[in-house]
Amino acid sequence: MKILLIEDDQETSAHIIYALGKEGHEVELCHDGNEGLERARGGGHGALIVDRMLPGLDGLSLVRRMREEGSQTPVLFLTTMSGLDDRVEGLQAGADDYLVKPFAFSELLARVHAITRRSQRAGESEPVRLRAGDLEVDLIRRTVQRAGRTIELQAQEFRLLEFLMRNVGRVVTRTMLLEKVWDLHFDPRTNIVETHMSRLRGKVDRGFGAELIHTVRGAGYTLRAD
Amino acid sequence: MPIRFLRTEGFRLSALYAGIFSLSILALGVFVLVVTDQALRDQIVQFSSADIAAVRNGYTNEGVQEAREVVNQLMAGPVSSDFYLLQQNGKPIAGNMSAMPERTGTVNIAPSAATGNREVLGAGAFLGPGLYIFTGSDTGRLRTVQTHILHVMLALFGGAMLLAVAGGTLVSWSFLRRTDAMARACRDIMDGDLKLRLPVRATGDQLDRLAGAINEMLSRIGQLMDNLSQVSNDIAHDLRTPVTHLRHRLERARAECRTPEEYAASLDAAIAKADEILGLFAALLRIAQIEGGERRSAFTNLNLGALLEQMRELFDPVAEEAGHSLHLVSASGLVIRGDRQLLTQLFSNLIENAVVHTPSGTQITLALRATSGQAVAEVGDDGPGVPEEEHERLFRRLYRREASRTQPGYGLGLSLASAIAELHGARIRIAKGGPGMRVEVSFPLARDLA
Repeated sequence: MKILLIEDDQETSAHIIYALGKEGHEVELCHDGNEGLERARGGGHGALIVDRMLPGLDGLSLVRRMREEGSQTPVLFLTTMSGLDDRVEGLQAGADDYLVKPFAFSELLARVHAITRRSQRAGESEPVRLRAGDLEVDLIRRTVQRAGRTIELQAQEFRLLEFLMRNVGRVVTRTMLLEKVWDLHFDPRTNIVETHMSRLRGKVDRGFGAELIHTVRGAGYTLRAD
Repeated sequence: MPIRFLRTEGFRLSALYAGIFSLSILALGVFVLVVTDQALRDQIVQFSSADIAAVRNGYTNEGVQEAREVVNQLMAGPVSSDFYLLQQNGKPIAGNMSAMPERTGTVNIAPSAATGNREVLGAGAFLGPGLYIFTGSDTGRLRTVQTHILHVMLALFGGAMLLAVAGGTLVSWSFLRRTDAMARACRDIMDGDLKLRLPVRATGDQLDRLAGAINEMLSRIGQLMDNLSQVSNDIAHDLRTPVTHLRHRLERARAECRTPEEYAASLDAAIAKADEILGLFAALLRIAQIEGGERRSAFTNLNLGALLEQMRELFDPVAEEAGHSLHLVSASGLVIRGDRQLLTQLFSNLIENAVVHTPSGTQITLALRATSGQAVAEVGDDGPGVPEEEHERLFRRLYRREASRTQPGYGLGLSLASAIAELHGARIRIAKGGPGMRVEVSFPLARDLA
């Protein structure tokens, strides 16, 4: 996939280019907001990674302009400030997700994959049922069945499973889970994600032979039916 | 700078008052002049009428001859008019005036040869057929009185102006002296004497109140600066520890690691250390941002009981894993104004403190109650607690208890919680006495539920 990176900091851009290159993505780099907007207009990018602070045109305005012009290219917003409002502003401007610097490689890759997938499925209608192997989640009746057996989940466990199922086959990071499942935007000191995941696994995986939820070392989790 | 006091507020005010006062003296003067003039004229006419009545009395009783006698008596008497004329068929038969037109009622005679070039005011009347009498007085007397009044008024006016200027100068001078002293003090403070305060005279006047307010502001700024330098010191100190550890690890990895696996393990440990340092920075930035107070725009009405129930659900597995139990005792329907994300962080910090700093088997209770317009949320545990004398220190940034130094964390949890509480106009405190540790946060209840 060809990704347009608009970032003026050398160190950060080198870091991102390395991480994405290693995954086989082609990265087009540009340092200036105005130039970035021009290149984005040129099209042909699978995703955009835009820094908030840019010379020329700032990241927020750039994304807003793109969206006004009708561009649907998924955008990942980068921000240095762990600012509370920056995130909201970025999403309101039309970014698909945001990432606070500094970030781990795994976090960047997981976010890029998530937004590109979301945009690929943008045209499809909202699913009523999610399936992975012999696991089935009914989003309307909020029931879960595996191999024909009903599994009772608490509200938080259901939300966690739903998120994993929507990202089936993809790595979701701990931070992504905190943000998207629990709307927590800080780093907790206790192992909230791990303990919830452990409860969910106890219900979804235990006693069913093959495991669906896998831990990805140093990155996060993935739900996958082999 | 001799004219500097002319520009002071004190002098300007004095000048204004002097102006207003002069105008009122002027208005009063005109009023007095008009009123006295009218009163004196009325009096002259009254005297004249009384004289005429006396003459008429003589004439009625004893005839023309007696009327002439009465006129002559009046002219010689002590209290009488200046001018008399009794004329019969147009010819003067008594008095000190030549013949004149026979006007009746109040009569004003312009200066002429007949009156010795004096203006005369008086009254005229017919006593009988062809018998006319006039008595009157010189109005020059009026003018004398008026001149007197005018002089008094002018003297008053001058005196008032003099007093105003002198007073204004005095007031301005003392005002200037005090403001100069304040300006000097300000400059000295700017030059670095931060302990200095503006002079206060204890009279409680405006300047004193201003100086008092500025002094309070200086004290607050001083506190903040102390706090800031304390925090900078703490940050420098606290950062040195993890960075030193990081360095040790890298150094040892370089010396000892032989296999790729060993290198990977060492680097993972180093990355974890670096993340810890970054986390410390993020937490400090977050506190600074919240204390900046720009976040109130995101406030909405929210149900505190529902929020606490979510917190209980969120931390239930964590508490269970640590061997704790987590309960919620909640009054329902308490609505406050706040930022959901920040409040989530506040209660997360309090609950995590309880989970991390208590031994296994501790019971953690979330409680919500309403007391006198406040919604009081409490996170309590029945663990070992913290001695009362340490309570205040717990809210200090980067403060960590001796016993908890081995636990993960930066000593920022309660500082952050307290910053968030303050943003919400809430009071956070550690309850005294009782077993374990109980942190109470009292929020003002939302008034407008719309």
